[in-house]
Amino acid sequence: MSGLADAIAAYLSRAWGEPVAVERLSRISGGASRETYKLDAVTSTGTRPLILRRDPPGSLIETDRRAEFLALKSFHGRVAAPEPLILEEQGAELERPFFVMRRIEGGAASSPFARDAYAPHEAKLAEAFFGTLGRIAAADPATLPIAELGALPSPGDCWRRELDYWAGVIDADELHPQPIVRAAIRWLRRNPPPPAQKLSVVHGDYRSGNFLHDGAGRIIAVLDWEMAHVGDPLEDLGWAMDPLWRHHDPDRVAGLTSKADAIAIWERASGLKVDPAAFRWWELFASVKGQAIWISSAKEYRDGGYREPILCFSGWYTARRQDEIIAERLAELAA
Amino acid sequence: MTPSVREVLQGCTLAIVTPPSADAGPEYAASRFGMVAMMLGLAATEAEHAAQAAAAENADMRAVFAGLAPAYDAALGGRLSAAAAETEASLDVPVLDEANARLRRLLIELHARIEDAGDAAANRAIVSLYGRMAQLRQMALPSG
Repeated sequence: MSGLADAIAAYLSRAWGEPVAVERLSRISGGASRETYKLDAVTSTGTRPLILRRDPPGSLIETDRRAEFLALKSFHGRVAAPEPLILEEQGAELERPFFVMRRIEGGAASSPFARDAYAPHEAKLAEAFFGTLGRIAAADPATLPIAELGALPSPGDCWRRELDYWAGVIDADELHPQPIVRAAIRWLRRNPPPPAQKLSVVHGDYRSGNFLHDGAGRIIAVLDWEMAHVGDPLEDLGWAMDPLWRHHDPDRVAGLTSKADAIAIWERASGLKVDPAAFRWWELFASVKGQAIWISSAKEYRDGGYREPILCFSGWYTARRQDEIIAERLAELAA
Repeated sequence: MTPSVREVLQGCTLAIVTPPSADAGPEYAASRFGMVAMMLGLAATEAEHAAQAAAAENADMRAVFAGLAPAYDAALGGRLSAAAAETEASLDVPVLDEANARLRRLLIELHARIEDAGDAAANRAIVSLYGRMAQLRQMALPSG
């Protein structure tokens, strides 16, 4: 057994009050902001298939593992969210904070840059993908475990809080001047959206590539809740529809369906309406948030000694593509 | 621009020569090497075009500055005119990037001033420049 497997076994044995052996520990690709491992925890009563997500020494974005854990706790059983089992914020035997959730077997995640990733089940997956997001938006965050994170924002402050945060990330991490995203930030500040029609749980990274599907049109797990927070439900919808996640298909948001169809599915599932003017703001914001993440990843790639290829990809190709998207949006707004 | 081709190649080399950890499964290793392969493909294209793209972007910004400089006060207009009159000291990418950073900072300041003044025509000129800048830096994934 490896040192990490020994440490996990020691932790689980202590947490569960019985001897635990760790088998088939294997690191898997699970995003750039956490080290993700799959493992089997074997006890006298059986084998539990688990996923462990541990903070890396340096990460793509600074995320709140407690928020991720509470978001999973909020939506496990409501949508296809994995069951969260353990949150360890001090690190204990594993030295860095981590959490453990039940592993969901048998699904596949598709790269948002792959072409025709969901054929021939796009229509069914579109219903599942945007319907799930609508159900997340419909839930009342005040009644969910995620409310433990603290005071909820006021509906009129959601946009400002998010924009301030991500503009601050750009201020802190920009290595080369970025006039295109700076122009977008100024436009967003001059043209604020109306207050959120309701407060919702915002997944924070709800997009193609962040769900497992069964290959037959069913979503079996929504992943990567690490940026979850309470805010305007249009935030997630704008992010999910960003052209970056369209699998190179300009006509199908998330590589799944038309924008109008996606909005219709979301409105049916959420019981909410998409105000076009408000949504235009959140669409541009999504691209700004994306660029903030890619700028941050370029900095972390450099600061981390150029060791993580995913940080390089995000800070390079993805950042360039995001600039194209923002420039196109600014041109539409200036016309 | 960041990361530079040099940094990308440095990172790819590190990823190739660094042994995977004992806990890295085959899926993780395959994903990591697939990413490295993609980075190398992008670096090959970028190495061919980076100097031309940077020089073209710098020239485009200078041309826009030259056109708009007369509309501004001596402080900003003078800096715009001075930047517009510059020529590249070298076609080495790091030198071009240094000039690019200076020009981009001036562009950010200029655009904010244009917005404050409500100059719609100048705003469209800058936004059009952004489109060309993004196109010049466009990267195509090896698969597409």
